[in-house]
Amino acid sequence: MALQPVAKLPFEGLIADARSHKLGKWHSKLSERALEQYAEIGWPGPKTESWKYTSLNKIASGTFSLAGEYSAIVPEDMIMPLTCPRLVLVNGVLNKELSNLEQLIGNLSITSLVDIEDHQKMFFDDLFKSEESKGDLPLTYLNTAILSDAVMLEITEGSKCELPLHIISIGSGNGITFAPRLIVNVGIGAKVDFIESHVGCSDSAYFSNSVTQLYLGDNSEVGHYKLQNDSRDSSHISLTRAVIDDGASYDNFTMSVGAKLSRNEVRAHLKGSGVECCINGAYLGAADQHIDNTTFIEHQAEGSSSREVFKGVLDDTARGVFQGKILVHPEAQKTDGYQMNRAMLLSDKAEIDSKPELEIYADDVRCSHGATVGELEDELIFYLCARGIDRESARRMLIGAYISDAIDEVKNIDIRSSIQSVAENWLKQNLYEK
Amino acid sequence: MSLLSIRDLHATVGGNEILKGINLEIGPGEIHAVMGPNGSGKSTLSYVLAGREGYEVTRGTIAFKGKDLIDLAADERANEGVFLAFQYPVEVPGVVGMTFLREAYNAKLRYLGKQEIDAMEFLKFVRSRAKTLNMSDDMLKRAVNVGFSGGEKKRNEILQMAVLEPDLAILDETDSGLDIDALKLVSDGVNELRSENRSMLIITHYQRLLNYIQPDHVHVLAHGKIQRSGGKELALELEAKGYAEFSEEAA
Repeated sequence: MALQPVAKLPFEGLIADARSHKLGKWHSKLSERALEQYAEIGWPGPKTESWKYTSLNKIASGTFSLAGEYSAIVPEDMIMPLTCPRLVLVNGVLNKELSNLEQLIGNLSITSLVDIEDHQKMFFDDLFKSEESKGDLPLTYLNTAILSDAVMLEITEGSKCELPLHIISIGSGNGITFAPRLIVNVGIGAKVDFIESHVGCSDSAYFSNSVTQLYLGDNSEVGHYKLQNDSRDSSHISLTRAVIDDGASYDNFTMSVGAKLSRNEVRAHLKGSGVECCINGAYLGAADQHIDNTTFIEHQAEGSSSREVFKGVLDDTARGVFQGKILVHPEAQKTDGYQMNRAMLLSDKAEIDSKPELEIYADDVRCSHGATVGELEDELIFYLCARGIDRESARRMLIGAYISDAIDEVKNIDIRSSIQSVAENWLKQNLYEK
Repeated sequence: MSLLSIRDLHATVGGNEILKGINLEIGPGEIHAVMGPNGSGKSTLSYVLAGREGYEVTRGTIAFKGKDLIDLAADERANEGVFLAFQYPVEVPGVVGMTFLREAYNAKLRYLGKQEIDAMEFLKFVRSRAKTLNMSDDMLKRAVNVGFSGGEKKRNEILQMAVLEPDLAILDETDSGLDIDALKLVSDGVNELRSENRSMLIITHYQRLLNYIQPDHVHVLAHGKIQRSGGKELALELEAKGYAEFSEEAA
């Protein structure tokens, strides 16, 4: 029997290119190891359970090259509207001219891998290694294998950052791929809010494979808010992973409106007890957009709570995916977990796949989950019209109210209203009476 | 001249003819009650007047202040001064009562080519109206009708009416589901709004509500037509005899 030729791994060729790139020898070793792990797991296909509803075939069969250009104009109308210090990445590499970090000095230290010598980089080895030992996330290995930079944020013990930090990741160019990598280390008792805006320059079509990893020290307080507003012909695949220690609070929210294909995967490991963790989000999809929100919350210790609220509106042939798993270890008694996913379909051809999953090994816990799918009721629209509000405004008002219910979960009030305005803009630009 | 003039009105819902030639004239400041058995077309009449989609006028005319209503969308009719108090007020999750009232009020101002109202001024105006109906600030801060009791929902309808100051108010089974105290509160609210410039069309199955809101004219609607018209004594007669005589005419 003839042997089947071994299928080439997507992006394998690019990994070799990446090694001769700007990060030198240190990255070569890291990249080799990441490639091995990536090859072992393989590219996620239709039989991979966690990718059942989201196909990466188009990305795998596409032709991509590594980005070579690291400057761009910030697309101000795409990012989260906020006035605060900025850290700008272009195609995954920190761009200092576009960043504005003066007001932050003192609380927070920022290190870009590009800036430091190889022997200093060794210091970060563990961060990558520990990340890779957890679970089968092939795209995270791919990120490690091809990254051109990584940015470390260190918030020192006890420091309270008054202003939020806005991290803007810009994709610029056609047919390119890049791998933004953020590592955030929050010291004991520190407090910080930061925002990620993932956007693209007009007409760019790219594949952004982004990874953000966070470590929350005891009793720290972190707000982490993300806007996915990548160019409409692009793909956005991202992993956010938070490891959370005793008594810390983590407030995460993802607003997803851009890209043709997107997946926002958030994994929270509640290592400590007394942790408060919120993983919330909203998504708005039109035309042929595909938006996947996949979450995993792991309760490892006693007495932590997690809350999850996702709401989405899908029009035309847009497709949404929600997968939410809560895992409660035997030690994690007195866990309080809540999960809710609601979607509103505005067209007959829109679709939502929802897969909640509870896996509980402790006996004294309170966990609940639910999912609903609905349409905008004519009766509701008529009620508003009968009070003088025109049909189009009524629709917009009702859909806006539906989505804002999820956005209200955001704890930082300024950021909450910024996210609201992103949603309102989307509704203005995308909702027309058919 | 009549404020509302309905002539030979025929309307269908889902292909079935429900209204089969209604004639009704309502003058300024007049209160008319339309009574009738279940399934007679009372609620259909209110929806047809308010312009609900799916309620199709197949024949006849509706003139309101001399304008043809049939060609106007529901929101335009509202802004012209037609108000429908719903039999079953809808819960509007996420839309705060005060915001809803302001949007509606400003929509009317814009329609009339006027400047939108100042938010603080509007707040004072609404509060004064809410007080009469014994509605708390808290109710205005909550999402419209969400978690309201039956009585609270009906009071909220009357508050909207008080704020929007329509020329014609259609009250569709406003008494349904109300206990005696709530009925009195709602009726007082409605009576407060009686004026020589405001007409009302009260749609009801029972005579009970008409003890509190006294009509000038009473009509009996059955089988899609007005079968009889009279003064308020007609309501008392119906209360005593029921609708039996009108159901026989079906044959």
